[in-house]
Amino acid sequence: MGNSLSIENVSAGYGSVTVLSDVSVHAGDGETVVLLGTNGNGKTTLMRCITGQVVPSRGTIVAEIDGERHNLIGLSTEEIVDLGISLVPEGRRLFPRLTVEENLTLGAYRQSARERIAASMDFCFEVFPRLKERRTQLAGSMSGGEQQMLALARALMASPKILLIDEPSVGLAPILVARMIDKIAELKTALGLTVMMAEQNFEQAARIANRGYVLVHGQVAFAADSVDDLRNSDVVRRLYLGVG
Amino acid sequence: MTFSLDLFSNAIVSGILLGGFYCAIAVGITIVFGMLDIVNIAHPAFIMTGGFIAYFANTQFGIDPLAACAIAMIPAYYLGRLLYRFYNVAFEKRGEESLQGLAFFFGLLFIIEVALLLIFGVDYRFVEAPYIGPTIEIGFISIPWRLLIPLIVGLGLVLVIIAFLSRTFIGKAILAVSQDPLALRLVGGSPVKVKEVAFGLSIATAILAGALLIIIQPIEPSFGRDFIGRVFCITVLGGMTSLPGTIVASMILGVSESLTSTFLGPSWSPAIAFGLLLITLAVRPVGIFGR
Ligand SMILES: Nc1ncnc2c1ncn2[C@@H]1O[C@H](COP(=O)(O)OP(=O)(O)OP(=O)(O)O)[C@@H](O)[C@H]1O
Ligand SMILES: [Mg+2]
Repeated sequence: MGNSLSIENVSAGYGSVTVLSDVSVHAGDGETVVLLGTNGNGKTTLMRCITGQVVPSRGTIVAEIDGERHNLIGLSTEEIVDLGISLVPEGRRLFPRLTVEENLTLGAYRQSARERIAASMDFCFEVFPRLKERRTQLAGSMSGGEQQMLALARALMASPKILLIDEPSVGLAPILVARMIDKIAELKTALGLTVMMAEQNFEQAARIANRGYVLVHGQVAFAADSVDDLRNSDVVRRLYLGVG
Repeated sequence: MTFSLDLFSNAIVSGILLGGFYCAIAVGITIVFGMLDIVNIAHPAFIMTGGFIAYFANTQFGIDPLAACAIAMIPAYYLGRLLYRFYNVAFEKRGEESLQGLAFFFGLLFIIEVALLLIFGVDYRFVEAPYIGPTIEIGFISIPWRLLIPLIVGLGLVLVIIAFLSRTFIGKAILAVSQDPLALRLVGGSPVKVKEVAFGLSIATAILAGALLIIIQPIEPSFGRDFIGRVFCITVLGGMTSLPGTIVASMILGVSESLTSTFLGPSWSPAIAFGLLLITLAVRPVGIFGR
């Protein structure tokens, strides 16, 4: 039974400003797909379209969850999360004056997730022992790295099938970026997730991605069937590898 | 007026007792205005409604005023949820909550007041209960039961709400929606549904506060307006979202009013709330427990 995401010919923006035009992006069952693109090219906007925060003016977004197809356009953010699609958002969006434990608890808002809060929390604490040490600390008073772990763990508390991650590396030291990327790969395998990740750190993302897309000015400038194709593409070499 | 220790001690004690009652009238505003940004200035009208429910049940059926309002809290909770749903559809969803929403609650305040006037008239109404009358004397300090009960119930109410917010799932969701509504949606919660529960809870606390009010003193329908300044003063002074802050601010207001009314005369006490509000906004706008 598959868990996949298909974005077809999506155009979207804010008010009269068009940000995405005719974007088609796909993540197949069990894949890790990376969205590359420098600042302001529409990665976050695409994540917002998938999660119902921005309604596209054109195109379709369809998710397949456990083999069942759902049209996501028109659904509210909370309905989309309830289907099994979780987002680790840009800026992390933790509840700053709630504790680590309370943030995790609320991560399990879905009815189906609420029944196994204790087990999910044990799992998160096993994956991120640091969060266990800090369970009673207010989320807002944690370091950037810890907050990113918490944001990821909170998204997992919903027991999603499809995990969207918006720039996990932002604000982290290089060593932490590598560790965060490793964790994502580890969790993806352990939980059988389908992952779509926006990232600017090409080398790190390339370590775990199966495929990728490069967004430039709100359009898919390059769609690659493998990481090697990405690496050898003109646009990636120009934007990320400093060649050409 | 000359200063005397027993006058002073009694003023402090009645101020604390009064503060306990203020906890009950303000806790709903801390939830709704402090946490949810809804300027429900009709809150005092719901307190008056609670007072008249207690009056009606007491005079018609001889029911204890607290028991009557404790029961009435249940329908009041659902009424509050309905009211929020209306407010959300009519104002919040359209982004017109600030001015038109304020006008809506202002109108509601007057409608409820007029309705109470038409039903109960302008006379002062009171209730009877075994704890209205007797007084505990400790040395030169006297503690009337009719003020002690509101202190206990008022403090108890805030403590129960603190426990509810920190221990239950929906309680945590209420705290979460006050911090970041979008983040709540991203974990799968609906801010509207969560706020609806919080609003219902707030109206229920107003009804119970009404019972405490009519235990303390006889009431008439226009009385509620006196509390608008007080409830907002307490919430702001306490730091908007902080319930321990609400308790401390209630005590500060109660004691300040009691001292002024003892040493300067009762006509001054209504001005205290606005005075404290202005001082808070000037000196420490985030309140005592604010961040
Ligand atoms: N809420 C908003 N209202 C109006 N314009 C917006 C809004 N959010 C983003 N934009 C604009 O949309 C464009 C794309 O922004 P977006 O955040 O999707 O880019 P991004 O690829 O995620 O960039 P970054 O890597 O810096 O996070 C930018 O020009 C941005 O200014
Ligand atoms: Mg972004």
